[in-house]
Amino acid sequence: MASDASLTVHAWAMATAAMVSASCGLVGGLLVVRRMSLLGDAIAHAVLPGIAVAVLAGGSLGGPAVFAGAVAAALATVWLTQAIHAGVGLAEDAGAGVVFTSLFALGVVIVTLAASRIDLDPECVLFGILELAAFDRVRVGGLLVPRAFVTAVVVFLGVAGGLAASWRWQVFTAFDPAAARAAGIPVGLVTSLLLAATAVAAVAGFEAVGAVLVVAMLVVPAATAELLVQRMHWLVVVAVGVAIAAACGGYALAWRWNTSAAGMIAVVLGGCYAVAVLMAPGDGILARAIARLRLEWRVAREDCLARIWRACEAEGRDAAHVGDPQTWLERMAGLWLERRGVVRRKNGCVTLSDHGRREAEMVVRSHRLWEAWLGRHAELPIDHLHPPAEWLEHHVGAAMRDQIEAELSAGQVDPHGRTIPPEAAG
Amino acid sequence: MPPLIGPVSLVAVASGPGLVSYNTLVVLGGVATVGFAAGVVGSLALLRKRPLVGDAAAHATLAGVAAAFLATGRRDLPALLGGALVAAVAALAVLVLIRRVARTRDDAATAVVIGVSFGIGLALLAGITARGIPGSGGLEQFLLGHTAALTAGDARLLAAVSLAAVAIVALGFKEAVVLCFDPQFAAATGWPVGLLDLVLVALVAVMVVVGLPAAGAVLVTALVVIPPVAARQWTDRAGPLLVTAGVIGLTAAVTGVVVTASRPGLSTGPVIVLAAALICGVSFLVAPRRGVIAQWLARVRRERRWARGDLSAWDLADADEAVPLPLPAVSHVAAVPLRGADGK
Amino acid sequence: MTLAASMPLVEFHDVTVAYGRRPVLWHVDLAIDRPCLFGVIGPNGAGKSTLLKAALGLVPVVGGYTRFFGEPLARVRGRVGYVPQRETVDWDFPVSVHDVVLMGTYGRLGWFRRPGGRERDLAHACLERVGLADLAGRQIGRLSGGQQQRVFLARALAQEADIYLFDEPMAGVDVRSQERIFAVLAELRDAGRLVIVVHHDLRTAAEWFDRVALVDMRLVAAGPTAEVLTPENLDRTYAGRAELLEELGRAVAERGRTS
Repeated sequence: MASDASLTVHAWAMATAAMVSASCGLVGGLLVVRRMSLLGDAIAHAVLPGIAVAVLAGGSLGGPAVFAGAVAAALATVWLTQAIHAGVGLAEDAGAGVVFTSLFALGVVIVTLAASRIDLDPECVLFGILELAAFDRVRVGGLLVPRAFVTAVVVFLGVAGGLAASWRWQVFTAFDPAAARAAGIPVGLVTSLLLAATAVAAVAGFEAVGAVLVVAMLVVPAATAELLVQRMHWLVVVAVGVAIAAACGGYALAWRWNTSAAGMIAVVLGGCYAVAVLMAPGDGILARAIARLRLEWRVAREDCLARIWRACEAEGRDAAHVGDPQTWLERMAGLWLERRGVVRRKNGCVTLSDHGRREAEMVVRSHRLWEAWLGRHAELPIDHLHPPAEWLEHHVGAAMRDQIEAELSAGQVDPHGRTIPPEAAG
Repeated sequence: MPPLIGPVSLVAVASGPGLVSYNTLVVLGGVATVGFAAGVVGSLALLRKRPLVGDAAAHATLAGVAAAFLATGRRDLPALLGGALVAAVAALAVLVLIRRVARTRDDAATAVVIGVSFGIGLALLAGITARGIPGSGGLEQFLLGHTAALTAGDARLLAAVSLAAVAIVALGFKEAVVLCFDPQFAAATGWPVGLLDLVLVALVAVMVVVGLPAAGAVLVTALVVIPPVAARQWTDRAGPLLVTAGVIGLTAAVTGVVVTASRPGLSTGPVIVLAAALICGVSFLVAPRRGVIAQWLARVRRERRWARGDLSAWDLADADEAVPLPLPAVSHVAAVPLRGADGK
Repeated sequence: MTLAASMPLVEFHDVTVAYGRRPVLWHVDLAIDRPCLFGVIGPNGAGKSTLLKAALGLVPVVGGYTRFFGEPLARVRGRVGYVPQRETVDWDFPVSVHDVVLMGTYGRLGWFRRPGGRERDLAHACLERVGLADLAGRQIGRLSGGQQQRVFLARALAQEADIYLFDEPMAGVDVRSQERIFAVLAELRDAGRLVIVVHHDLRTAAEWFDRVALVDMRLVAAGPTAEVLTPENLDRTYAGRAELLEELGRAVAERGRTS
């Protein structure tokens, strides 16, 4: 029975964390693409004095007064930073550094001095009060629901509604503020709306995980999503997904290991980001390593074939003596080609199969076409043609080769006077 | 330079005669030295256009402190700060790594490191507290800073490291100014720009760690940022800027220690930061020439002269000479790049 | 000191520069074997400044090398002076005009040594040569664009180098300062120094420089000004043929990413 009750408590806390995290992830998508990540951090710190003053004036945590105070403090941060920038010419990053640390310090002092009169203290400012959230309940439609959860749902709906209503404008502004302004979009208003949404999400986050870790909730899901998808709306969807998953996972781990849920949520978010950096399709470390390896393998194979082909051309017959390969990868490629029967050894000489010859001809063709093209169009001196062609030959498809040939119009001969092999049939 | 005697006698008044122990004085002196050195080192970070380079390092220190406690099992300040330094350096290394291998924007990368490293620290700290590991009480004082618990030995250590940092800056002042003013010229003249930058970042990391006991992980950045910004208002030369920033940092640090000595519930960090912010705000307003009031007066005077038809403010022979201050236009919020950005 | 004419003062050998994987300067061969006023001319984005930076090791070079006096730069750094573009520094920086000029002597001073009386006198003399001695104590932001460029020139003079590399010294500079700067450059040349200037204005180029190189992602032509600045060469430099090279570079960079 007792464990059932505790299970309910934890379930509600986890649900609250997920809702809060989702709100932050939603806002974070826009913050990250607009390079405002650290402004999000600044706002998360700077809302504290707003909250503290509102609570001191009789507002309750999660009440409208607190949200109003937080939004005011957030806008004040941005306004102050810009005023300092305009007033005394201070760079905006330094200005923001001054403003948000000062406001946060002010908030902490207020909270400390008034700790006896308000239900906020420096401890919950830093750690959040997620674990206690489930105990303060209100009745919603016959069900006892934690107040914090209700707040989190309202915040999520509010933030989602506000951003959805201005979505096209938000994306346009994020992509190109100057063009958006020229197109008649009220860029200032759109940005203020985003800042307000950030402040509202930050207040919800602040209650759950504390002022400092809000930045993790705001930025990490979006930074993770950005590595995984290309389109803006998918970015937001994935960010919200990551945010919810990390909140649940982090809470569960914290419960299991008996530590701070706020801290563990940030840790799990960090884990998600690390996995994305490693495994992201296309741009992940792993994907790039594989692509690079495949490219180098292909280059080694092609170089190997082309070397044999050129040696044959020089000796004027089908088989030739070929020097040792220059890299270990090329050596491997040679062995591999031999095993596949593309390259054959005959009493110290090397020869190519029909298939191998066709492939080698295409590489040599690319190389010589490039030399001819570069010599004619780029006006590079003749002794400088080989290195760029050597570098370009592996990056040319049949279509590009045809195009170059068409542009060259005259001659099947490269600048050194050697024949350019014709395109393979089929 | 504000005399040390003032604040010290304040302590005497605040805590009653006879209660100002030798220990209190040493701690005051140690924290004052930290404040001075943070201002000096922070000035270079500001001049290098990386005022917030220490923030990621600062947030990571908490994890280092907690890990060092777990490793040693004692609350021994040198060991804890050693752990903090390792964590700070690790955070900066991760930041560099992210820039190299991931296509995350610089500001987002910084935010990721700040958030996640602090989360690790908080999880470790909460885990230690929840398990009631003996001797762990007071670890949370590294969050917001608390100087009351410092011993004279601790303070001497902090002072010694701070003085070493100041000595390094004094020694390499010439190199630092060339690096900050014109890195391309510095590189072309043969100075190892990468190495100098590394030394600068290392100094900031060390100051962040040394500032930890007084200002706490969350706010220690301000110790490096605010005094230089305030000092820039008062001088147009690099040398005086460093010294002024040091004095402002020292003043703020001393104020923080003195005020919190009489209000035991209050953490030192926020008070130090508020004191620095106050000085900074006043500097914005009243500084000669760069101050808001001075600029306003100059404009009024100029406009009045123009209204009289007196154009002597403009030297017509060299018309573009008389530009008073190179103020960049107010850019839109969208372009607000905070922190990091490291001059790429 | 006069420079021996036996070996090239500056030699670019097969220099190729790429930003990321994208080449911006292709295989430049260029040797300058006697002191003169040498202009590097070409359209915007042609890689003129990049050429200087490559010579000084400020951008990574993909292929080729540069020699000064037949030696790698590291061994003769003290004899090579560099003046970057004016916009590359923050003019709100808290240093005085005199401080900036003094920086020219730092290379010779070496690590940790402070400039002394000799350096200060030298800095003052250099400021006099560019006509700014009476502004020595001023913060550098409170100068006009032309005056700022002259401060940079004075700093280069304080380096007491044998070869000077100037990156667009005339950009955004009023006519009076331009003339003053040019006069000092000519003085340097007459004193037997090699002065290489990246320049974008064709009209003044013909009248100022003894020798020029036309650059547009590759070296188009180099030699005595009158021989190089022919309509045909200019057409080859400014007719946009290098677009093909640019496209090519981009294609390679993109294929390298996705394949």
